Amino acid sequence: MTEKTLMAGNIAIAEGAILAGCQAYFGYPITPQNEILEHLSKRMPGDGRVFLQTESELAAINMVYGAAAAGCRAMTSTSSPGFSLEQEGISYMAGAELPAVIVNVMRGGPGLGNIGGAQGDYFQSTRGGGHGDYRLINLAPASVQEMMDFTMLAFELADKYRNPVVVLADGFLGQVMEPIVRRPPVTELPDKPWAITGARGRAKNVINSFEMNPADFPPRVRLLFQKYEAICQNEVRFESLELSDATLVIVAYGSVSRSAVTAVKMARREGIPVGLFRPTTVYPFPYKALTELARHADNFLVAELSFGQLIDDVRLAVGHDKRVALVNRYGGVPLHADEILAAIKEMISQPVGR
Amino acid sequence: MHEEITLGGFGGQGVLFIGRLLAEAAFREGHEVVCMPSYGAEKRGGTVWCDVTVSEEAIGALFITRPTAVVAMNPASLSKLEAAIKPGGQLVVNRSLVPDKVKRADICTIYVPANDMAAELGDDSVSNMVILGSLLAVCPVVAASSITAVMGELLAGKQERLALNEKALGAGYDWTKKNLASPESKSKEGAHVQ
Repeated sequence: MTEKTLMAGNIAIAEGAILAGCQAYFGYPITPQNEILEHLSKRMPGDGRVFLQTESELAAINMVYGAAAAGCRAMTSTSSPGFSLEQEGISYMAGAELPAVIVNVMRGGPGLGNIGGAQGDYFQSTRGGGHGDYRLINLAPASVQEMMDFTMLAFELADKYRNPVVVLADGFLGQVMEPIVRRPPVTELPDKPWAITGARGRAKNVINSFEMNPADFPPRVRLLFQKYEAICQNEVRFESLELSDATLVIVAYGSVSRSAVTAVKMARREGIPVGLFRPTTVYPFPYKALTELARHADNFLVAELSFGQLIDDVRLAVGHDKRVALVNRYGGVPLHADEILAAIKEMISQPVGR
Repeated sequence: MHEEITLGGFGGQGVLFIGRLLAEAAFREGHEVVCMPSYGAEKRGGTVWCDVTVSEEAIGALFITRPTAVVAMNPASLSKLEAAIKPGGQLVVNRSLVPDKVKRADICTIYVPANDMAAELGDDSVSNMVILGSLLAVCPVVAASSITAVMGELLAGKQERLALNEKALGAGYDWTKKNLASPESKSKEGAHVQ
């Protein structure tokens, strides 16, 4: 039997980074993810790794750029306002095709908001977020185990595609404690012949996101989007719960999907055939699987911690002839299972037709 | 077994600490556990909650909306949580700091003078351990010995503190068992013990 430990979500992210062979961490404190910095500040320096608490998120993301360009597995972690500050650097990294992991433990917003959990950065994170044409792989954990596993996966995918990867968590997941299995450490890191490591004895490598001649840049963007196409082909991930006979499908990711799991159980106990569709990558979004589901299910209930962002992707997937409703909380408060159950009942009690 | 326990109090009273002890002990006894702390941006004085779900099955929701047991360390947590408790559930109130009386008769309420008992033991700050002992007496979700085992690790090297905590845990447990056993408290459903 595999040994389990009780761990908080933020610690699981930090430990996941260590296990994945993260060589350099740069970050600036912000609740509700401070435990990541705190933990890494203890774990990394004695282990021959770089830990640096920067003077700002801008410094952090640009140091990640530098470390990634030098071929290191590099990471930063932050929460919503800090994620906004990092957008310029993330855009530069996407443009320069640099692999890095950015953890966003989302909190209430807009603005300074509050330290509760939220999912209001969905658009920002899944559509690029900074300037220019680019996309980020977005992994959406819903348990402490996934906080660890997806952080490890994030490093792997970042290197595989030479693209920044976001672990899109929320404040509730950062704080919650659950038993998890500690994964074996990654022992072999991939070769990075493109990295800036000193050009003695070889042709020089160039890392930038700039071309003097405007006509030289469109081909680079095209290459980026060929890469994103491959990501959409290969990396779509999702989880299904009780969907085989479901006439109503809840779509949810992150901490709120946990409330949805309980809501499914409650509804099933009352004989209502409900299931849960949980994207674990929100970019690439599992459009195809959801479109497929819409052949059999007519009602889609989107549960999210924002005023309605995930719901746009659900509508894109299921089309306009399906009923799509929203049950949500926003601004940093949780959505509970009984509220989702009430929304399920309201939706199925309405006559067909919108 | 399936218990949903919500602990509430002021920041600084040690609510998160006893939540963590409870979760860690339940985990080591082989149960599924979710321990969801919530707190404000204040360093001290804001109200703090900790939801601890203990089950034999995989746990869905992180938050508890209908607790089977509640600990109210301060007035704010009592007023917020009283209505939410499941009928037949347990409520442990810190009588030292909460002057209010519970209105519901379909739950079992115990009023424990946690701060006074802690002060008698020599340190007001172990009121959290007194009330945890009391909770275990009415809601035996884990063995008290599991709590002390976890505490031994968390407070390794702090022998005095550990000894005091153990004493406070035992005092809360014994006081509650003794007072629950008194005939008047068994006379009606929804017993109120003071």
